[in-house]
Amino acid sequence: MIVHSARRYTAIKPFDEALAWALALLLSISLVMVYSASIAYAEADAATQNRYFYLIRHVIFMVIGLSASYILFQVPTRIWQKYAGKLFLLGIVLLVLVLVPGIGRVVNGSRRWINLLVLNLQPSEIMKFATVIYAADYTVRKTHKLHSLKEGFAPMFAAMVAVAFLLLREPDFGALMVVMSIAMGVLFLGGINMRIFSGLAVMAAVAIVLLIISSPYRLKRVLGFMDPWDDPYGKGYQLSHSLIAIGRGEWYGVGLGSSIEKLFYLPEAHTDFIMAVISEEFGFVGICVVIGLYAWIVRRAFHIGVESKKLERFFQALVAQGLGIWLGIQVFFNIGVNMGLLPTKGLTLPLMSFGGSAMLMNLIAMAVLLRVDYENRRIMRGYKV
Amino acid sequence: MRTSYSAHQRERLADASPALKMTAGRVRFVLLMLGMLFLALIGRAIYLQVVQQDFLQGQGEARFRRAMTLEANRGVITDRNGEPLAISSPVQTIWASPADMEPVPPAKLRDLGKLLDMAPEELATKLSDRKKEFVYIKRQINPEVADKVIALGIPGIAKQQEYRRFYPAGEIISHIIGFTGVDGKGQEGVELAREKMLSGKDGRRVVIKDRRGHIIEDVAAIEPPRDGQTLALAVDHRIQYLAYREIKAAVEENKAKAGSVVVLDAKTGELLALANYPSFNPNNRVGTTPEMLRNRAVIDLFEPGSTMKPLSISLALEHGKANVNTVLDTHSYMIGPATIRDVSAQPSLNILGIIQKSSNVGTSKLALLSSPQDFWTYYDSLGFGRAPNTGFPGEAAGRLRDWKNWRPIEQATMSFGYGVSVSLLQMARAYTIFTNDGVMLPISLYKTSTPMPGKRVLSEKTAHEMHDLLVANSEPGGGAVGGRIIGYSIGGKSGTARKLEGRTYVANKHRALFMGFAPGKNPKLIVAVMIDEPTAGKYYGGAISAPVFSQVAGGALRVLNVQPDEPSNNSLLPDSTPVPADF
Repeated sequence: MIVHSARRYTAIKPFDEALAWALALLLSISLVMVYSASIAYAEADAATQNRYFYLIRHVIFMVIGLSASYILFQVPTRIWQKYAGKLFLLGIVLLVLVLVPGIGRVVNGSRRWINLLVLNLQPSEIMKFATVIYAADYTVRKTHKLHSLKEGFAPMFAAMVAVAFLLLREPDFGALMVVMSIAMGVLFLGGINMRIFSGLAVMAAVAIVLLIISSPYRLKRVLGFMDPWDDPYGKGYQLSHSLIAIGRGEWYGVGLGSSIEKLFYLPEAHTDFIMAVISEEFGFVGICVVIGLYAWIVRRAFHIGVESKKLERFFQALVAQGLGIWLGIQVFFNIGVNMGLLPTKGLTLPLMSFGGSAMLMNLIAMAVLLRVDYENRRIMRGYKV
Repeated sequence: MRTSYSAHQRERLADASPALKMTAGRVRFVLLMLGMLFLALIGRAIYLQVVQQDFLQGQGEARFRRAMTLEANRGVITDRNGEPLAISSPVQTIWASPADMEPVPPAKLRDLGKLLDMAPEELATKLSDRKKEFVYIKRQINPEVADKVIALGIPGIAKQQEYRRFYPAGEIISHIIGFTGVDGKGQEGVELAREKMLSGKDGRRVVIKDRRGHIIEDVAAIEPPRDGQTLALAVDHRIQYLAYREIKAAVEENKAKAGSVVVLDAKTGELLALANYPSFNPNNRVGTTPEMLRNRAVIDLFEPGSTMKPLSISLALEHGKANVNTVLDTHSYMIGPATIRDVSAQPSLNILGIIQKSSNVGTSKLALLSSPQDFWTYYDSLGFGRAPNTGFPGEAAGRLRDWKNWRPIEQATMSFGYGVSVSLLQMARAYTIFTNDGVMLPISLYKTSTPMPGKRVLSEKTAHEMHDLLVANSEPGGGAVGGRIIGYSIGGKSGTARKLEGRTYVANKHRALFMGFAPGKNPKLIVAVMIDEPTAGKYYGGAISAPVFSQVAGGALRVLNVQPDEPSNNSLLPDSTPVPADF
């Protein structure tokens, strides 16, 4: 009996250590791969001229992100719930600000960044997080009205249309897809009426098709992804090199540091196309390890959500699962782009790619997930949160 | 804690609990969807990495893999003493890949322009096509300049080693050496004739390159280049220099169209010098005309005129139709409708007299003592009508018609050098029979340790008799006095041939010739001189070509440290030289 209780005691840790380890493992892989993928660019580029240029910045972003996560981990989840509306509003304001010439910085034809000296803030990253919190709070607040088109659905729909409008102005189609997936996913999990949901899903699909057709820029990207070998030196350049990198990886990869594609052939090797470099250097095994880690984290997020629900912590349940959807969808989109399953979007691989805002917001998201679980554990042991 | 909640929050919590569905089914559904998306990624990965592997890797290789040529260093061409006449020096070529370049800042473009001596606008134009992956910026520049260009650190600009052919002797020997084209292959002269030996074999290296052109690794064993071999010519660059200087001076002084000199080693047949004027500078062929490129001594054919006489006369002696004491009636006479006559008519002449006075009557009478077949066979054995096989590209064979169709007048005119066309090189070679005991030597362009065996054309006796007659022809009263050299005896024969225009011989266009050997007693050299269309007044071979012989042969003998065989007061004053009548 004594032995048994001792085991039970050790089984309930104050927080989800396994999740923390999985995250630590991903971040470690990220450090190595960002360095590996950026080394040639960093060394050769006249503006950087230092092989550690991107690695140093990546480490700094990670430290900032981890510090922010540590601080925000201390914040009870009900505070997020309390300020959910204001957070969403902040996201909207930033999305408006980024469109103001002089504040928003244009890179590659998209106005996505606000320059804050140390880092380029990407409002769409904040918006993704804000959407998770806001959608969860909204669903909990409107529980009784979720069957009503006017009261339950229309306000959220209006908010999403506003976000969509702003994101398309940048344009940032990828972020829009992620935000929409989160919002619809949370509403669906929160129990929205199936008829409303189906209608919404059909409308979203039609809207996406219309958006693609209406913009030559997006249509070009879509067509480029359909057959990169049609114009491998023009539209299909980036994708064809990503595919070559993956194909070169075979089962076990060419080995760490031996990627050829990262030697100026594959653009954005250390940001959006880092998965191609991982695939080339570590092959199918590497892909499976990375996707496996993400899948495991997504499963944990959903599990934490289920635990929260059991404790009747519905907001926290939806937050955890919303974060899981965010992570899962964005991983799918990013790797899908790398592998030529989806058109190029400009989405990073969460917790892996080089990029300050994305890394910061992904780490905060994981801190909130860990916090939800931490609170669950405290409640199960009889503490208050 | 709970008591501190606001009324609003309490209400919300109370409301939420019973109604929020969050059914396990929906959670499982979303998780399943995400799982399927992830499985789709895994499936796609297998497709790309296993099924499409060969295609993708092939596409990759097409982009990274490059076969590089390792250029073999072209062999050096030297003269017989090892003096370099054609060398390949390493130079660098600057090229760029505009596709891999960021726009170059104007300041850097200016620096680059300054180093390469190019206008920044010109550079900008070259770099403007951003789709190109290879553009020459400047070819064949000094390696030090190339290093400075690379030190500018402009991404996408690289250098590449090449070899540039350099000819230290320039125009002096350009007709022998020839030159190479932009591709480094021989196009003329020895460069072309011995292309295979000189070029060696390029090596090969297969590498993986990054997009900016840096080599990452070798993917196959390196095949090293095999450099070309050094080629030693028979030419002595000092004699060549003399020959070129003298023929150039003579052509200019006599306002002639062109001129050629051939110098052979009288005992081995080696080609010690061969110069033509006009010539060209092989290091910079800008403005070179086809006229300047022509290696006239080898490819131009002409009627040799009186310089043929010693050859035809020797046949009569060889066959015993006459001997050195034979005296012939040299009054003009008719062959069919044609009259054979001499410029300075003599009633009778012995063999020496025929040579000294260059008698057409005497020579033709001696020639007609032999049958057409014998006569043809003899000229054929002297190499007329056959390419001399020296290896020079474009060698002329000359023309010797079939004896069966000869009329007697033709045999007569051929004996004094009309109706047969030869090159200067063929004439010089034919004269080796007089310096080499009747054996005609093949001409060697290249230095040989063992001379190639010749072919006997005359008996030793006839050869010695002819040799002595030619030496005597340089004594006062002879036709070759203009070729005399201080300190050395010589032997020789001058000639002045009217040029054929259309079907008639014109009176005002001549070729001035002189064929001779020196020293007289033990010949070391054969020198053949031809000056084409002198227009400054004098046009006799004995007057304008003989002095070239004298200068070239005299200089060459001193260069070769040949012991003088005459006292140094052996010369005749130029004014006392009688102008020979040598038609």
